[in-house]
Amino acid sequence: MDFIQYLPPLLRGAGLTLVICAAAGVLGSLIGIVLGTAKASPSWIARVISSIYINFIRGVPILIILLFTYFALPLMLPALTFSRGFTAVVGLSVYSGAYMAEIVRGGIQAVPKGQSEAAEALGMHYFVRLRYVIFPQAMKIAVPPGIGFLIALVKASSLVSVIGFVDLTRAGRIVTTINQEPLVTFLIVGALYFVISYPISLLGTWYERKLA
Amino acid sequence: MIITVEGLHKSFGKLEVLKGIDCEVAEGEVLCVIGPSGSGKSTLLRCLNFLESFKEGQVTIGGHNLTGAKTNLNAVRRDVGMVFQSFNVFPHMKVIDNIMLAPMKVGKVSRADARARGMALLEKVGLTNKADVFPSTLSGGQMQRVAIARALAMEPTVMLFDEPTSALDPETVGDVLDVMKKLAEEGMTMVVVTHEMGFAREVADRVLFMDAGLIVEEGTPAEIFESPQHGRTQAFLSKLL
Repeated sequence: MDFIQYLPPLLRGAGLTLVICAAAGVLGSLIGIVLGTAKASPSWIARVISSIYINFIRGVPILIILLFTYFALPLMLPALTFSRGFTAVVGLSVYSGAYMAEIVRGGIQAVPKGQSEAAEALGMHYFVRLRYVIFPQAMKIAVPPGIGFLIALVKASSLVSVIGFVDLTRAGRIVTTINQEPLVTFLIVGALYFVISYPISLLGTWYERKLA
Repeated sequence: MIITVEGLHKSFGKLEVLKGIDCEVAEGEVLCVIGPSGSGKSTLLRCLNFLESFKEGQVTIGGHNLTGAKTNLNAVRRDVGMVFQSFNVFPHMKVIDNIMLAPMKVGKVSRADARARGMALLEKVGLTNKADVFPSTLSGGQMQRVAIARALAMEPTVMLFDEPTSALDPETVGDVLDVMKKLAEEGMTMVVVTHEMGFAREVADRVLFMDAGLIVEEGTPAEIFESPQHGRTQAFLSKLL
């Protein structure tokens, strides 16, 4: 079977999946850190604004977020017309941000209260406490669930195929229409997804071992 | 008077924990607060640096009026050090970094000066050989001594101790009490909530006995321990001694 000729497009798809997941992972984490900190803050307005974002995004399927960003936003405001790739990254980042925010918030609130009190008793202002005492400890707690989410993100990213972005899933579907070999093709697609997400789990295991 | 408390009332929701506290502490004095659990001793102590807020009453400490309009709480806390029952040492930093953090970030002290101060304080508490280790390798008593050094690094005028030895095993309690004794001898103003009656007898200038949110009796250690006047004080002490 002359399957080798179909590998380059599949590998290209895998590469693009990796790129959008890396970008969305980084952006989503940044959004998550900001919003998660806001939700855990003593400021009422910060908590309200972050909660609105988190609850709204978590209540809507990621597919709807992607479809809305790609098809509906340009109708609302022509300037918001994005390419498929950009939509993919924006949609996945917005989605990830909401979940990462809850992970970060959980991490912050899991730091024992005594830590914050000791820092307060030393005269440390809220942001100083957060930066030197709370955050380092919160991030350690948040990394395992964060890694778990990133693994889930790799799989959720397959939905960008619906807006026509040629990620690994879409590449697989295009290839099967040409070679009529769905079994082999999708086995390889599955294997490539595994190759992308397994190292992330290994990173998580390494990190947890490092802490112990 | 370095600390004055007037008409302090504190409630947690509907539960009134402090029902009107009046007391004073002079500079260099060691005040021990004793009493049964739930009497409000820790709450009183935590009100002194506003870790617990209060709406009724007035507290002046080290020249700061805690509920004054212009009072900067962070400034108050620079002058008032606190040591906790559960130590609350920062686990993600080495011992010396624990001690250097506040002087550098709050006191704007240079790294070199902070380190020098930190090493001097570690010597004072007898832990210079532990400067570069992480707190997880330390025993409870060692962690508490690090916590004391950390609080002293801000050069406070008053030190508050919230049951500093209650979570320690009996062997290490002595090491921590020795450090506190030394501090008292050097003239530090200290308010200590404790169950260590031996310490209170030996080191305190005055003892307050609290029960159910009020100061029941106060006096010198001799007065309180040898001739308590109030029935409640007598009952408490008879169970303990």
